[in-house]
Amino acid sequence: MRFLRRALRLLSLVVLAVLGTSLLMYVAPGYFSDAREMDAAHAGVARADLVSLQAQQSTLPRLLRSEIHGWLRGDLGTSRQYGTPVSSLIAERSALSAKLLLSGVALGWLAALLLTLPLGMQRSSVPEVFLVCGTALLLAVPAGLLATLCMVTGHGGPVLVLALLVGVRDIKLLQRMARTAWAAPYILHARAQGISTWRILGIHVLASLRHDLLALAVMSFTLALSALVPVEVIFDHPGLGQLAWSAAMNRDLPVLTVVTAIMAMCVGLASLSAETRRAGAASCA
Amino acid sequence: MRLTMLGLIALLLGVAGWRLCTAPQGYATQDRMQISAPVQAAHPAGTDELGRDRAVRLSLALLLGVGGACCASALASFCTLLVSSFASFGPPWISRTLLYLSDLFMTLPWIFLLMLVRSALPLSLPPLQSGLLTFLLLGLLGIPVFLRLHHSRASALAASGWMLHAHATGLTLAQRLRSLLPHLRPLLLAQFLLYVPACLAAEANLGALGLGLSEPLPSLGTFIANLQSAALQAPSALVYLPIAVLVLVLLALELSLFGAES
Amino acid sequence: MKRLPRTLLAGALLLGVTLPVLRAATPNSRPSEIAWALQYDPKTLDPALVDDQASELVRFLTGGVLVRLNRASMALEPELAESWSVSPDGRTVSLRLRSGLKFSDGSALTSADVVSTLRRVLAPATKAPVAEEFVDPAKVTVDAPDPLSVRLHLPARVTGVVAFLDEIAIEPANRPSETRVTAGPFTLADYQRGQFLRLRRNPFYWKRDTAGASLPYLDGVRLDILANRDTEELRFLRGQYAVLDSVTPDTFAALGRRLPGATRDLGASLNTEQMWFNQVPNAPLPAYKKQWFSSRAFRAAVSAAIRRSDLARIAFDGHATPANGFISPANTAWYNRSLTPVHEDPQAALALLASDGFHKQGEHLVDREGHPVKFSIVTNAGNHARERMATLIQQDLAAIGVEVNVVTLDFPALIDRLMHTSDYEAALLGLSNVQPDPSTMMNVWLSNSPNHQWNPGQKTPATPWEAEIDKLMRAQAEAGDARTRKVSVDRVQAIVAEQLPFIYLVYPNTLCAVSPALEGVRTSVLQPDVVSSIERIRLKGDRR
Repeated sequence: MRFLRRALRLLSLVVLAVLGTSLLMYVAPGYFSDAREMDAAHAGVARADLVSLQAQQSTLPRLLRSEIHGWLRGDLGTSRQYGTPVSSLIAERSALSAKLLLSGVALGWLAALLLTLPLGMQRSSVPEVFLVCGTALLLAVPAGLLATLCMVTGHGGPVLVLALLVGVRDIKLLQRMARTAWAAPYILHARAQGISTWRILGIHVLASLRHDLLALAVMSFTLALSALVPVEVIFDHPGLGQLAWSAAMNRDLPVLTVVTAIMAMCVGLASLSAETRRAGAASCA
Repeated sequence: MRLTMLGLIALLLGVAGWRLCTAPQGYATQDRMQISAPVQAAHPAGTDELGRDRAVRLSLALLLGVGGACCASALASFCTLLVSSFASFGPPWISRTLLYLSDLFMTLPWIFLLMLVRSALPLSLPPLQSGLLTFLLLGLLGIPVFLRLHHSRASALAASGWMLHAHATGLTLAQRLRSLLPHLRPLLLAQFLLYVPACLAAEANLGALGLGLSEPLPSLGTFIANLQSAALQAPSALVYLPIAVLVLVLLALELSLFGAES
Repeated sequence: MKRLPRTLLAGALLLGVTLPVLRAATPNSRPSEIAWALQYDPKTLDPALVDDQASELVRFLTGGVLVRLNRASMALEPELAESWSVSPDGRTVSLRLRSGLKFSDGSALTSADVVSTLRRVLAPATKAPVAEEFVDPAKVTVDAPDPLSVRLHLPARVTGVVAFLDEIAIEPANRPSETRVTAGPFTLADYQRGQFLRLRRNPFYWKRDTAGASLPYLDGVRLDILANRDTEELRFLRGQYAVLDSVTPDTFAALGRRLPGATRDLGASLNTEQMWFNQVPNAPLPAYKKQWFSSRAFRAAVSAAIRRSDLARIAFDGHATPANGFISPANTAWYNRSLTPVHEDPQAALALLASDGFHKQGEHLVDREGHPVKFSIVTNAGNHARERMATLIQQDLAAIGVEVNVVTLDFPALIDRLMHTSDYEAALLGLSNVQPDPSTMMNVWLSNSPNHQWNPGQKTPATPWEAEIDKLMRAQAEAGDARTRKVSVDRVQAIVAEQLPFIYLVYPNTLCAVSPALEGVRTSVLQPDVVSSIERIRLKGDRR
């Protein structure tokens, strides 16, 4: 029953995301326009294409019907900008994006955990001040500049930039969580009793932070999903993020709805997994 | 430490204000014979590619950008706090609905909503009003980003022993909320600090949709976004001045809040 | 305690997985293959359906055409057709093919292939964009009297019809191959969407150099799909790319400093940058603004107040030429040399405005009813030169008391306002002219055309001068001799310069960069500017 409820929740999230995306793009300016309209040489063809598009999608229900038709056909519709089935575009790009996303998030998390969790036990605030300075610098440098620097120097790539984007934000939040956790009376008591620092970290600190870490994991995952767009665009990484951006800029609704559905699925699954673990932990307690 | 950092921020803003008031050239005045001029007496930070005094423009950008981003970030943090705190004390369905909406929000392409806002506004909207509206929108759009994290913390606290004890002893909801706030402060401050640079970057990117601080007003976000190509073009080192100032402000903010937490 | 080492081990494993992918991937190169970048995927590989620049380039590199427009001299040259003639009434075009022509798969190319290709292109069902240029393509018939002769029969004279053959790539009869079997210098070998296209040399290409060696010299060409201009420039500097077309003025100097001798400024292009006011009668604008915008004095005053030399010097870093009309001086055959440069003088602008009832109230200009003169200029976001021009114009007009609001919009939203809702006051955009013949600009100048930007789709011309332009443009399109056409086009240029429906600002220069490792590169202002001599381009030292 619980499984069914969760599956329904996930499904409704995907459906609402697709509906919301369709509605937003349909009513936003420029849906029934084409860059070729301004080109004297190709304006005629562009207008003919638009007339046929308007005939098919004159109202929102008709637009949704044509979208659903594409999904039912099995190829997820035809891309407006590429003129090819969306399923083939997604298949070509999803593996590249998944690899980038997982590598970036893993590296970002690893760096954030290694840098922040042991820091709370330090009596001196000097390392923390250094960390603060480093994160402030990275937060001020936009992703675009970071990526260009990587390209100019020839070191690092989309994985590093994604890891930095995710890691620096996680560090900021983890740093505060860790400080609070290390200052808890029972941990101070344990330290006073001479229990090894690593033991306290592994058993008590991580345990006390597990709910927050789950929520942070969901947040950083969704952050990484949204950071995928600028990172892939800047690095010309042919993944889903780049596809989503070009779909948004070219009002390619069939592609954008599928990308949004995938994003909704990922976010929904991440949230469900966090909530399941949380519920499990609560029931154990 | 805290006072020193607050003093540094005040000094930076003071210098910016002083430069704005005393500079012979306005922020929009173009001296077309002094394009990309180096440092000189009349232009202590040189001029930009349109011959405008870089120091004056940076001063105004700092006041507008940091002011706007701090307000947007504060709005987002405050609203997140309010929503997550109330939800953590309310029935579980409220929390579930809120988190569901937050997930939905994170997946939707809000860029189209911003386009709709732009199309609903008159093209003659003055640059300053457009900028203020942009920061307001950014403040509201920032709420769901951190909602799950805040909610997790607030729920854990709401279910803690001391809070149950407080409830049992008859403390009202308002009193319990008040006692919750100090525990959420570190997370709130982190969100505030994270969202300030994010707002600046978003404001610059929204320029592409006709929102944000448009010309001739200077925008700190645009200054920094333009550095992307500067790395290749290698113009004057002065183009890196805005990012240096921003790092300084963020550091000072961070360290002053760090002092407050300590 | 047991958890921590496990976590650390997992972390170390993750690090091991991620570190190898930290280095950005770089594409592989092959010997005697050059590479450059396309900003987006070609929309089609079917040469008949080309309607974007990327597809046009692929067609240029792979397509065998009957006649080629020489991009440097702007003259038509024989290609697959060794000769051609047009009948005196302009209704029949006869072409004679070279003998021994072959496609890239070794099969013979005969008149049957040409007839099949032309029929497919002209058929309404194909929806080939180039067919529109034949005015009434459905009524055009094609036949082949013998294996080396082809005849086109047109219902009426179409000016410059032979030049349109430059845009039709001949394909094997009844088996269109999407560029896999071609009669041009290269043929498509591999295409990874979003990543690259790889073209390989056509071993059966008919052309030879003066020494008798078969062309092209290069074994292949790789076109990377790369939207980021910074990455493209970086790869060029590192020697990964052989050419850079459309270099922006912002980076031109930096590229020249880093790779001396590589950059080339080819002078004014055929393109124009212009601003115009919305004169659509039912536009959602206040009546008094519509009155300003339809006033010639107002438009002339705005034009006189704009310092074009500053736009060229500052917004384009000196790589542009102040404009005074819709035909660039680079288009030597059609440019009207009697046009004078625009007289730029704020005082003259104020005098013109005063003649139309405008006057200064303090620092601000107001119309005769007291409305302060302010308007917005919309332009597309992301084009630095255009954004700078708008800001410079903002200050120029502030000098005569006019307040301007600059609004940048993403392209679809901008087109929606310009082409569909007419919800704008003034616009600043550029027009790309890929062909020198003014007939290709017909749909900009005819008053009933949807591309007549300032007041599109008029049922009858709104003004006498628009009616005259209509008449002149039709006359030049129907005229048989070049001299009569030139007279008409000159008159249109003069009317436009006087009435200023478009306020022409600059002709941007054609900027490109060529690797010092290449030889045989002949650049031109017409697309594809850098690789128009692709058959004769080779790597220095490669003497095969």
